[in-house]
Amino acid sequence: MSSAGVLRLGRHVFGPERRLVMAIVNRTPNSFYRPGLTWDPAVAMDRVHEVVAEGADILDIGGVPAKPPDDVDAREEIRRIVPFIAAVRDAYPDLIISADTWRHEVGLEACAAGADLLNDTWGGWDPKLAEVAASCGVGLVCSHAGGVPPRTRPFRVAYPDVVQDVLSTTLGLAARAVAAGVARERILIDPAHDFGKNTWHSLELTRRLGELVATGWPVLVSLSNKDFVGEALDLPVDERVAGTLAATAVSAWLGARVFRAHEVRETRQVLDTVSAIQGDILPARTVRGLA
Amino acid sequence: MIVGAALCASPPLLHPALTGRAVVLPELRAACADAVARLLRSDPGLVAVVGPAAATGDWDPSGRLDPAAFAPGIACDGAGRSALPLSLGLGAMLLDEGGYRGPRRLIAVGTDEPASACAALGAELATGATRTALLVMGDGSARRSLKAPGHLDPRAEPFDAQVERAVRAGRFGALLDLDEALARDLMVTGRPAWQVLAGAMPDGGAMPDGGARPDGGARPDGIEIAGAPVAEVLYRDDPFGVAYLVACL
Repeated sequence: MSSAGVLRLGRHVFGPERRLVMAIVNRTPNSFYRPGLTWDPAVAMDRVHEVVAEGADILDIGGVPAKPPDDVDAREEIRRIVPFIAAVRDAYPDLIISADTWRHEVGLEACAAGADLLNDTWGGWDPKLAEVAASCGVGLVCSHAGGVPPRTRPFRVAYPDVVQDVLSTTLGLAARAVAAGVARERILIDPAHDFGKNTWHSLELTRRLGELVATGWPVLVSLSNKDFVGEALDLPVDERVAGTLAATAVSAWLGARVFRAHEVRETRQVLDTVSAIQGDILPARTVRGLA
Repeated sequence: MIVGAALCASPPLLHPALTGRAVVLPELRAACADAVARLLRSDPGLVAVVGPAAATGDWDPSGRLDPAAFAPGIACDGAGRSALPLSLGLGAMLLDEGGYRGPRRLIAVGTDEPASACAALGAELATGATRTALLVMGDGSARRSLKAPGHLDPRAEPFDAQVERAVRAGRFGALLDLDEALARDLMVTGRPAWQVLAGAMPDGGAMPDGGARPDGGARPDGIEIAGAPVAEVLYRDDPFGVAYLVACL
């Protein structure tokens, strides 16, 4: 495989034609979608088995909801996710594990327990996180959250050009990560839909995702059941799967490579369909009209 | 002279590149490969692939099937080469896969060619001194089930059974009696090619030019032949509502 466009996660190497599902397993009692679904550790492990069977390539384990309140400190965050990461690593030695955290203390413990990737959704708020990624030899997601502190909801956010803002932030973070020693092929950029953005911003970013892809950095998108989908359709959080999958298909077509998702099976099917349409994979089985 | 013949199925899905990531009908593909392997054991000086196409005539022996006609965008061997009609392209592919590098003719026989013309073409193939093996491509009815390409036609089953009986018994002359209009109705593609076979290999086992397989004589592979040519059916089924028949004679 040519090194151009290669993404390395754990021991895996992915060419630019591969579209990966990052399954969400939240170790929280109060995330916005199906709150508390995997709060119980045994249930969470069952969920891991389920999403692996459904075709997840990456597991994203988080311990802090994106929304306020209920402050979760680093010690509690570690308690929530680190033993669980270790348990998943024991059960799946080869599965790519991502820790959804912005804190370097948590990242360090997560990597020691077996994480391959640090998913920093809050735009480099803790600059030491990149140093942890570098010292542990893991990957890093460089995202755009509009410069606000973690767990802040957008309030009257405005950008002269949101795509330019996302580009300058994520490329700056990626450059900083490379300078800190993170392997170039282990870095992704994420526009972070809805983070520090209103729905118009997230729709614009989806529409112009190709501009992020054109930078050459692998693009991760986190679209699943988010408010921009809900507001596009005026639908509550439990009725956004179709809209999410539509945004997933568009993003895949425009070149995104990692898709953070609650609905793994459906996302896998969407991505495989897009890959078949683009000719990146063969269709599974073709006999129609060929008998 | 005819030294051997094989009947093979000719659906596009025989080509491995056309069925995606799945291996579809491996048993049909294996039967076709087996039939061709046996055919090549007859030590031919020429293999004549006979298959239905829009019009009768020879095609460039170096031609191949262009799978892109069925699957635009796929990359595989054969793409861009002189594109053969489906039946001949699949026959050429089977010869390639069987490792045959000797002389070949690729003979299209028009889908509307009457039985008499088909038989005459077959007789002509049998008259020369060249040790000729026939690879006959074509399929039975495509109207054998509710999900078949042409839906279900109750006349399909007896039609295909008539063909199979004739092949098994070595009574190829019976193939000349096939109803051409009915064959067309039933979406049978093999009719003209089978009738070329009938012209090349008369009934009763007497080989053209009286020498290839005399009663009690020995085939080149040493197998004793007595009476009618021995036809062995290697595959007969209709998994997609199309009758596939693979046999070696």
